[in-house]
Amino acid sequence: MLSIKNLRAGIPGNEILKGINLEVKAGEVHAIMGPNGSGKSTLSSVLAGKENYQVTEGEIWFSPPSPRGEGSGMRRKNLLEMSPEERAREGVFLAFQYPVEIPGVSNINFLKTAINEIRLHRKQPPMETKDFLKLIKEKQALVELQGTLANRSVNEGFSGGEKKRNEIFQMAVLEPTLCILDETDSGLDIDALRIVANGVNKLRSKDRAFVVITHYQRLLDHIIPDFVHVLSNGKIIKSGGKELALELEAKGYDWIKEKDQT
Amino acid sequence: MNAVIDTSATVPARLEGEFKTLLAKTFSSEPEWLKEKRKAAFDSFCKASLPTRKNEEYKYTDVKKVFSGEFTSVYNEAHKLSLDFEKLFVEKNSVKLIFVNGWLHKDSTLSAKLPKGVIVGNLATDGLLIHSGFLKKYLRNDGDTLSRLNAALWTDGAFIYIPENVQLETPIEILHISTGKKEILASFRHLIVAGKNSSVSVIENNISVDLHSHVIVNFHTDIFSGEDSKIQFYRLQNDCKMVSQITSINVLQEKNSRFDTNTITLGRAWARNNLNIALNGENCESHLNGLFITNGNDHVDNHTFIRHNKPNCRSNQLYKGILDGRSTGIFNGKIFVERDAQKTNAYQSSKNILLSDAAAINTKPQLEIYADDVKCSHGSTTGQLNEEAMFYLRSRGLSEDSARNLLLFAFAGDVIEKIQNEPLKIYLEELISQRLRK
Amino acid sequence: MAEKNDILEKQISSDYKYGFTSDIDMDTAPMGLSEDIVRFISKKKNEPEWMLEFRLKAYRHWLKMEEPHEWAHLEYPKINYQNIIFYAAPKQKKELASLDEVDPELLKTFEKLGISLEEQKRLSGVQSTIAVDAVIDSVSVKTTFKEVLAEKGIIFCSFSEAVQEHPELIKKYMGSVVPYSDNYFAALNSAVFTDGSFCYIPKGVRCPMELSTYFRINTAGTGQFERTLIVADEGAYVSYLEGCTAPRRDENQLHAAVVEIVAHKNGEVKYSTVQNWYPGDKNGKGGIYNFVTKRGICREENSKISWTQVETGSAITWKYPSVILKGDNSVGEFYSVAVTNNHQQADTGTKMLHIGKNTRSTIVSKGISAGCSNNAYRGLVRVAKGAKNARNFSQCDSLLMGDKCGAHTFPYIEIKDKTAVVEHEATTSKIGEDQLFYCQQRGIDKEKAIGLIVNGYCREVFNQLPMEFAVEAQKLLAVSLEGSVG
Repeated sequence: MLSIKNLRAGIPGNEILKGINLEVKAGEVHAIMGPNGSGKSTLSSVLAGKENYQVTEGEIWFSPPSPRGEGSGMRRKNLLEMSPEERAREGVFLAFQYPVEIPGVSNINFLKTAINEIRLHRKQPPMETKDFLKLIKEKQALVELQGTLANRSVNEGFSGGEKKRNEIFQMAVLEPTLCILDETDSGLDIDALRIVANGVNKLRSKDRAFVVITHYQRLLDHIIPDFVHVLSNGKIIKSGGKELALELEAKGYDWIKEKDQT
Repeated sequence: MNAVIDTSATVPARLEGEFKTLLAKTFSSEPEWLKEKRKAAFDSFCKASLPTRKNEEYKYTDVKKVFSGEFTSVYNEAHKLSLDFEKLFVEKNSVKLIFVNGWLHKDSTLSAKLPKGVIVGNLATDGLLIHSGFLKKYLRNDGDTLSRLNAALWTDGAFIYIPENVQLETPIEILHISTGKKEILASFRHLIVAGKNSSVSVIENNISVDLHSHVIVNFHTDIFSGEDSKIQFYRLQNDCKMVSQITSINVLQEKNSRFDTNTITLGRAWARNNLNIALNGENCESHLNGLFITNGNDHVDNHTFIRHNKPNCRSNQLYKGILDGRSTGIFNGKIFVERDAQKTNAYQSSKNILLSDAAAINTKPQLEIYADDVKCSHGSTTGQLNEEAMFYLRSRGLSEDSARNLLLFAFAGDVIEKIQNEPLKIYLEELISQRLRK
Repeated sequence: MAEKNDILEKQISSDYKYGFTSDIDMDTAPMGLSEDIVRFISKKKNEPEWMLEFRLKAYRHWLKMEEPHEWAHLEYPKINYQNIIFYAAPKQKKELASLDEVDPELLKTFEKLGISLEEQKRLSGVQSTIAVDAVIDSVSVKTTFKEVLAEKGIIFCSFSEAVQEHPELIKKYMGSVVPYSDNYFAALNSAVFTDGSFCYIPKGVRCPMELSTYFRINTAGTGQFERTLIVADEGAYVSYLEGCTAPRRDENQLHAAVVEIVAHKNGEVKYSTVQNWYPGDKNGKGGIYNFVTKRGICREENSKISWTQVETGSAITWKYPSVILKGDNSVGEFYSVAVTNNHQQADTGTKMLHIGKNTRSTIVSKGISAGCSNNAYRGLVRVAKGAKNARNFSQCDSLLMGDKCGAHTFPYIEIKDKTAVVEHEATTSKIGEDQLFYCQQRGIDKEKAIGLIVNGYCREVFNQLPMEFAVEAQKLLAVSLEGSVG
């Protein structure tokens, strides 16, 4: 579904990603772990198409499963040539590390606009208000969000936990195929972490892939990954199964960095 | 000099004769270029005359009233001063300049050991006699109409030059004293030039001593802040009974420079202070702070104008007023951002407390912005002391007076905190707590 | 950046929807201004002597005044008053007995503008009804729902009619809030005003429907000088709406109106404007000069006046809807969205004059500048001596879209009472890149995202508008900003 080849990117004068290679197939959950400053958030920003970052080398290919079962692989898209909204409409969803506040714009209006833009892209008619409200109600329950939250301005005045839950809620509503979770666990207490993880687990399916970016192993207790990659200094220096995360937790990042040097 | 003054005539008409006398006598030995400059400035002042209250910049301050008496500007006589100078200066080791009614006083101590190339002296002698060419380059006729009047009539003032790469550790202290029996207009001027990567700190203190008549001090300062330089200019207006001060500081900042100024006005004052800052290079920083504590018939008008001409500059302003009696305070600040000055970060805050029913405050914080990628904001609040805080302090046993003073002192403290010179901070804290106890 | 400019180019050509002209048979005065013209207007309207006297006094005073050019952040050439037609009215056959007698072209005009003058249509189906006074150029052509309102004792009619039918009320209130000598344009209006609306809500009556005046400039070379007077007697309430449009023309046309509001004890007036005069073309040619004096007085205790304005039109806007808070416990509010694009200039804001005790005022101003426009907020908050416990909160935000426009904030705060608490905050910024990216990541394109964000930014003001108006205002905002993505 996602194929990253030798990706080099950064801000002008500072290369942050120094040749990333990653293959993600439908139905898989990949965890990307790494110390601060390793380039985790840059990777998520580049995948979503944030304009501040420059890609100097490499390729990102995205092959979402066709909606009407026309077979995967037929719709291979070059992500780097697409605008952020095109990527979103094709099914790339980024759960932000710091969800942005937009004063005066209600959550519900925001989501309705987004969902109908995506439907328009898929050549589907706009969703009936009745159906939309039903959908909202159903998905809100998934992350145990209060009903009133939908009427408040996007992320404005939300607590840290509410913001993160709102991200997962939006993910549930928009039904993307590739979900990138950027440090979704940061700033969450244990209950909120459980709620968020439950929400994500319920969204796992054979057609959907997850890239979970995290600093700590604790999120991976709840969202069990199929693969764990260690990002350090802009490169993936080690890949393995879920047990790699536990090993990292026990020995710290230095262990693997030293090993890498030898 | 004993000509009868016709106070009904316009100020330019009244000054015309005196200006001629000054040119013929006091200024007669000056170089031609300077005399021409003075003439041009005087003409330009005459054309504009004094600003009236119709002028938006003088909406709340009546300058005409200040100039309505029988003043003369041709005046210089020796004064015997018996003063405890120690109390009037902040630091023992500083370089000290003393001026009386706009003229250098003999007790100035300029002989402090200074790094090579540094000039600290007065404009009339050190400037004109020794560095005339330098002055020709830096003396300007710009500014508003009162600055131009100063450019025509100035008699003396400080002349400070810091060469490249010199960090002057010793602060320079300027004491200006208004004194005497005659109603005069004193025109006073400083020139401060800081070369590339230099730094200097100037403290100016204004007082009146043994003064028996109204004095107008029209005061202009030009500051040139070179690349990577750091300048601090602190102005203290304290105990200026019977003095009307019109001050203006024009600052030109080049890239990476930093300018800090504090204007502290502690009452018994009529003051109009103009600060004009031009940020002419990238990555400049400017900090303008002011505190005024007024009472009686005091009138304090602080005008700031920051012009962001280049990208990536930062400016910050904090002005606070505590007004009692029948006093009036004004804060008028403008942040101007030129089209090219992207990534400007400018902030302005004016906070005031009214203590009496007869006191008044007028504020006009303004933003005029032509670049889109900027962060500019201002805030202005006027109110009273926090009642809950008062109650809290009193419930801990403080008297109403001391609770009030404590809170006012804390309110004023925000501005004093910004001062980077420790001895000055201590000096001011003492003055302010005295002032608040009154 | 290149991509942004494309969107900008594409959209900047979007059109002013109301720019059409109507071919209506008009009765006009000779061009220019003189005492004779003032008399001509008064005679045309068959006015009593006292009204003519008022006009002449104003005219003579105006002659002594100077057009203001210094303090406002506006640039415009001196207006030639001899080049303006001061009176233009659709020709009518005497009194109108029914709507059928109205010139069909005129009806069509209002239909095109989306304003229905037919009461039946309005009554059926639509939940909330609006009574409309339609003013075209110099005169009121039709006031709807008059009879329904009259049952409650509410007077809602054209100003001309009020001069004839209710002279005692006009004499009592006209000029009591905005004296003819108030300012240059108010004096001009007092001399030559041709029509407008009058509205009186008697004691204890809550007006059952929104009252509205729709202003339309049609004839070339005319100025529009209307006058509106609204009086809420003790305990009365009314919500009043004002809308305006004009055809697209190359020359500038002058609109100098006066609005006076009086709120008595416990009375409340809510005045909403959606101003959409022709703004000129994208090169700044043509457009309306909108020089308007709007002021209300909370005469007695517990009264309230609230101004809400959405300003999107006009080449130049010069207006400061104000409230004199004379009565104790009175409340003044000002909510404003001002949008400028292309070469438009706006200098607008409010004055809150606190005189009574325990008075409160709130100011919320949202300025949006795009294109090569300049948009200034200018506002005064004054607390007079003895105005105990006055409270004011002002929030003035400016949004810049593109690097050729200007956004300015000029608040004046004058406080003469120590018990006052006055807070003012202002910010200037552009639309946050991170907000844009966030919307895009959810699949919303840039143009739509900007619309969403800007509407959110203005929400506090739109919330103050009556429902129908709020929807119109949002659409208008989108149209006005089309092509300003930057």
